[in-house]
Amino acid sequence: MANVGDMVVGYATDENVRSRGASGGLVTAVLAAALEKGLVENVVVMKHINEFEAVPIITDNVEEVLASTGSLHSVPVNLAKYAVGRKVAMPAKPCDVQAVIEQGKREMIDLDNTYIVGLNCGGSMHPITTKKMLVEMYDIDPEDVIGEEIEKGKLIFKTKNGEEKAIAIDELEEAGFGRRESCRFCTLKIPVNADLACGNWGVIGDMAGNATFCQVMNEKGAKLLENAIEAGRIEVQPASDKAIAIRDKVNSVMEDLGSYLEKEIFPEIPDEERMQYYMDQMENCIDCGACKEVCPVCACGEDSKCTMFHSLVDNYKMSMYHLVRFMHLSDSCIACGQCSDVCPSDIPITLLQSRFSIPSQRRRNYQPGMNLDTPPFFEVMLK
Amino acid sequence: MMTDKEWTPKIVAFCCNWCSYGGADTAGMGRFQQPASTRVIRVMCSGRIDPLHVFNAFLEGADAVLVTGCHIGDCHYVNGNEKTEVRYQFLEEMLQQLGLEPDRLHLNWISASEGERFANFIKDVTAKVKELGPSPLKPAGVK
Repeated sequence: MANVGDMVVGYATDENVRSRGASGGLVTAVLAAALEKGLVENVVVMKHINEFEAVPIITDNVEEVLASTGSLHSVPVNLAKYAVGRKVAMPAKPCDVQAVIEQGKREMIDLDNTYIVGLNCGGSMHPITTKKMLVEMYDIDPEDVIGEEIEKGKLIFKTKNGEEKAIAIDELEEAGFGRRESCRFCTLKIPVNADLACGNWGVIGDMAGNATFCQVMNEKGAKLLENAIEAGRIEVQPASDKAIAIRDKVNSVMEDLGSYLEKEIFPEIPDEERMQYYMDQMENCIDCGACKEVCPVCACGEDSKCTMFHSLVDNYKMSMYHLVRFMHLSDSCIACGQCSDVCPSDIPITLLQSRFSIPSQRRRNYQPGMNLDTPPFFEVMLK
Repeated sequence: MMTDKEWTPKIVAFCCNWCSYGGADTAGMGRFQQPASTRVIRVMCSGRIDPLHVFNAFLEGADAVLVTGCHIGDCHYVNGNEKTEVRYQFLEEMLQQLGLEPDRLHLNWISASEGERFANFIKDVTAKVKELGPSPLKPAGVK
């Protein structure tokens, strides 16, 4: 029996899934079991193309779910919008979970029917930057890479001929590579807002590398885990106190690093220079609207204020589109970095947006996408 | 010619039909002197004022924008001005972060009988904005 608050270490019973999974294949097995037993109609997974490319698929085929096993650090896609209007189970980084809950608040996703298996996340990388980094820093041909791993602050790449090369993440980030900027100042590393919080932190001893630490966060999580045990897809055992302590330690180290880097990434700009700063940053905007299209917390649909009420021919000093977005997202932005990733003009929109949303959220002591207790701020209840 | 005269700011004032618009009327009837710097836009309720309207005013060349409405509890549409208040807090924080001087955006509750208060409010804001000079968001060619 699985109860809320349980912490277990588990792995997939299927040897094939276990060996191919990043850490025991527990997540894959849980998702497959949820689909098999009819808990959900579909599962959202990433279909691998290669180490740097994968496409999200919505599938009802158990084989496809099992084939998706294994981690991908350099495909930073947010899956939240794939859950809209469906009864799905999905693996999710902490920021995906936040986005799903924000969508749930805006009644786009039925959270009672959406099962979220959260994954610990120390940060993801942009595929183009990673390829460039492999050539320049690691001296490895990107085509030869068969796996990557983050261990003790080092990023390790494995190649086809069995070689491993590790470089410290700090060093990579100083050289302008490494994790995406939005991941560097992120402080949500364990998805405590998901139904199950899974990851390899706290897996010790002979289990290291082939088992997953899993915390049951709520009733839905308990149902998911129990379902997978009943289906015979996973085996679990209670986590030891030592394992729990190690997981907490890794988490607090990562969180501290996040808060430390936040100060470096957002240097204070004097009041009188800020307007010019924003104008300079956005002067290359071509008004394509991709940042809105990809935003996982935006629930506005096609006809929205930001896109409908401005025109480039007005030749304003600043685009109405961005002004509306800066304000509209100041309570809900989760700084997932999707907008910076897709921007064809390479405008760091996430960083600009965060300058508005982080202080705004701090002032209200509010973190978006954590629970359903706080309604969206612009929704004032009628008395 | 404009060049001969002292520069006067252009101020957009959003006034709700029931209170602050009445207040502006009362100011006129009571002959309270006020600078001719405001362009009043009447809306049925201050809850109708979208941040978008404020952004547009600034982008089209307003030097300051005033959001005015009934006193809290007096709204003719139950709680329209409470919604304005929530929205205004976000708007204020956002424009400050953008680098716009805080004196360029004001929220004030003025009832239909407070003509003097309306006139004084306009006087104060005009004086403050005059010191600040033209808005940094004013497009080139707009006076």
